Amino acid sequence: MRYMALFNAQLKMRYIYLKRYYFDTISMIVTMFIIFLLIFYGAMALMGGTRADTGETLEGIVVGFMVWTFALIAYSTLSWGLIEEAQQGTLEQLYMSPLGFGWVTIFRIAAHFIVNVFMVLIVLLLMMATTGRWLNLDVLSLIPLVLLTVAGAYGIGFFMGGLALVFKRVQSALQILQFVIVIFIAAPFGWSPFMRFLPLSLGTRLIGQVMIGEQSLLRLPPGDVLFLIGNSAVYFGLGFLAFKFFENIARDRGLLGHY
Amino acid sequence: METVLQVKDLTKRYRRRRAEPVVAVDRVSLSVRKNEVVGLLGPNGAGKTTTIKCIAGLIKPTSGEIWLDGVEAQRQPKKAMERVAALLEGNRNIYWRLTPRENLEFFAGLQGHPVRKVRDYIGELIELFDLGDKENTSARMLSRGMQQKLALACALVRQTEVLLLDEPTLGLDVETSYELRNVLKQMAARGERTILLSSHDMHVVQDTCERVIIINNGRVVVDDRVTNLMKLFQVSAYRFELEGHLAEELEMKLKERFPLLSLSSTDHRTYVDADLVDGSELYEVLDILKVGDTQVKSIGHKEPNLEEIFLAIVKGQIK
Repeated sequence: MRYMALFNAQLKMRYIYLKRYYFDTISMIVTMFIIFLLIFYGAMALMGGTRADTGETLEGIVVGFMVWTFALIAYSTLSWGLIEEAQQGTLEQLYMSPLGFGWVTIFRIAAHFIVNVFMVLIVLLLMMATTGRWLNLDVLSLIPLVLLTVAGAYGIGFFMGGLALVFKRVQSALQILQFVIVIFIAAPFGWSPFMRFLPLSLGTRLIGQVMIGEQSLLRLPPGDVLFLIGNSAVYFGLGFLAFKFFENIARDRGLLGHY
Repeated sequence: METVLQVKDLTKRYRRRRAEPVVAVDRVSLSVRKNEVVGLLGPNGAGKTTTIKCIAGLIKPTSGEIWLDGVEAQRQPKKAMERVAALLEGNRNIYWRLTPRENLEFFAGLQGHPVRKVRDYIGELIELFDLGDKENTSARMLSRGMQQKLALACALVRQTEVLLLDEPTLGLDVETSYELRNVLKQMAARGERTILLSSHDMHVVQDTCERVIIINNGRVVVDDRVTNLMKLFQVSAYRFELEGHLAEELEMKLKERFPLLSLSSTDHRTYVDADLVDGSELYEVLDILKVGDTQVKSIGHKEPNLEEIFLAIVKGQIK
């Protein structure tokens, strides 16, 4: 009951922000779509082909862009989100929840994910309409795969959020990392067997197999799915542990309320 | 009455590179009984905020124990947080993009209270803090005073036994500060919460607190009831206004009898400030003055205030 109350509070806040600041919400969707168009037409021009003969690559761009959007939202929720809370002086209040800051954060992640699924879905439909490629939207396979994939981005977000608690001015590093995430997603998987150890990389490939290859989660190679679970758990876990480490330093130095 | 908040030998040292550590709080011990309102006073950098943040679990103490209603905060932080809420840094504890009601609902949820269970209480708080007209206005559009009242309401909606208030009237104009003081007085009178309040505003402390703890250089220097501290000065401070200048002989006699007495004068008046223990000493002063035919224009009983007492204690003039 108490945990449900906390989750409801987080979900309602997220919903209010999106609704009340609808201009901001619409701008975000439009911006994401414009960036996609630039990438899409840029890729077509580079390949010098038409939609028909650049087929699979363009579909790959749609999938990659969708994962990047999810990853960026995941990453921002924690890194930029924590900075914003510290700036407005509410971070200390969140820490004082008797349910623990860990749950406060996990419910915040969940609330953002639920609300943002709808936003990304709108962008995805726009992308599919633009490319003329209607991809397989097997929700039951995609939701767990997307969650598992972006868990790595949450891990990076936790790490950067922790750094922000102690060092405060980390905006430049945050911006650079947004593009590093693109490399994790877009780097060709066949380059090296070590690519699968990167965050987001294997997950993006598996999502592609569902959306483009029209496979279901159960038909994906079990070894790959298990590897993805392990990979995400490691990145999420390491990020969370790093966050706890920095949080401990911040509490020791009395920095939680500073910004 | 049972002790709800107990701090034992709390020490907080901040390590510094290639320098001696800074001791912000040095073996502070204090206790607050159920429904008591206690003021925490001290000059800037005395260790008040560090003490409050250690109690709130936001700063890790170097050593010492903090007990909240029978729960040791360092060992069971989550249980401890069920018992304490805090207002820190005035109006910076709320979400500026949410309305007062939405803020209250969020902070209730943060404590694990379902909205339907606290709806009536939220209504009461909105009424108590006179936020009804602004119930649906974003907090960023409210005046600073209203934001500060909302921040206090958000701490209250958590419904904890102990409430820590760090400078609740900081930056407010006289009128709003008075208004907030009245709300605090009402809360204190109702005896619903155990409150530890730190403030530079002595009026707030004098008006709302039964007891004050004064911290200086990280240590507790006074822990006494406000009335006792007031009495300490009340019985002692008198000012005699005399016509003209006082004869040297009388001045010597007075100083011989009352070594701490002080004299000051203007062109036509002499002022004698004396700390007198009881009424008989008052007559002694008058007897000395009578000998020299000195005209006493007035005798004033200096009304003490907490600010003077505080300054005297911090400067080491009284112990």
